[in-house]
Amino acid sequence: MESRKIYNRIAVLRKEKSLTRNELADKIGVNFQTIGYLEREEYNPSLDLAFRISEVFELPIGLIFSIEPLIPLSQLLTKK
Amino acid sequence: MEIKKSIKKRRVGVILTLLSLCSMVIIFEYCKIEQRDSKIIAIEIIPLIIFLVSFIVTFIKTGLWGFIHKPLKKLDEREIALTSKSLRYAYSIFTVVTLFLLLSFAITQTQIDVVLVASLILFAHILPASYIAWTEKEI
Repeated sequence: MESRKIYNRIAVLRKEKSLTRNELADKIGVNFQTIGYLEREEYNPSLDLAFRISEVFELPIGLIFSIEPLIPLSQLLTKK
Repeated sequence: MEIKKSIKKRRVGVILTLLSLCSMVIIFEYCKIEQRDSKIIAIEIIPLIIFLVSFIVTFIKTGLWGFIHKPLKKLDEREIALTSKSLRYAYSIFTVVTLFLLLSFAITQTQIDVVLVASLILFAHILPASYIAWTEKEI
């Protein structure tokens, strides 16, 4: 079964939290290269990893990951 | 992994490593079958040098060799998935190549020697790393 592409906001949220790839990698227990793969949306995380990411950013999984292309957070906030 | 290399350079490295390994076996088997003297066997040094250089540059310096031999506990979920995929492909290729060689040696009633066995052991260890070097954008 071919898995669907999962879009995410990891790169934006990481920059917002002023974290380096290495720091985020240490927090969620993966190699820093895996952060690059996640940010480029070339790797779909497991549910466990997705939960760990959501815990670091203190946001619900639905706000970080989506099966539809994500609209920028600023646009999301100003949307009526 | 220490050194970043472009995918094209890595692919050239993989081809050179596997071709030189193959050349060593072919030259040795040719000399054995044709009962050539040791001077021709000295030609083995050329593919051996190419093998050593390409192996060190493509697999050792990039950290691929270390990566593929890391214990599972030290890998994250993406790396486990990647190594599993590479081992799956490597197993298929290695099985086909080895069975084909065994069949050829059985048909021609040629004795299997230490060079072939040592090359097959090296081949088995190089294949998973070769798959990663060949397919991964970033290592």
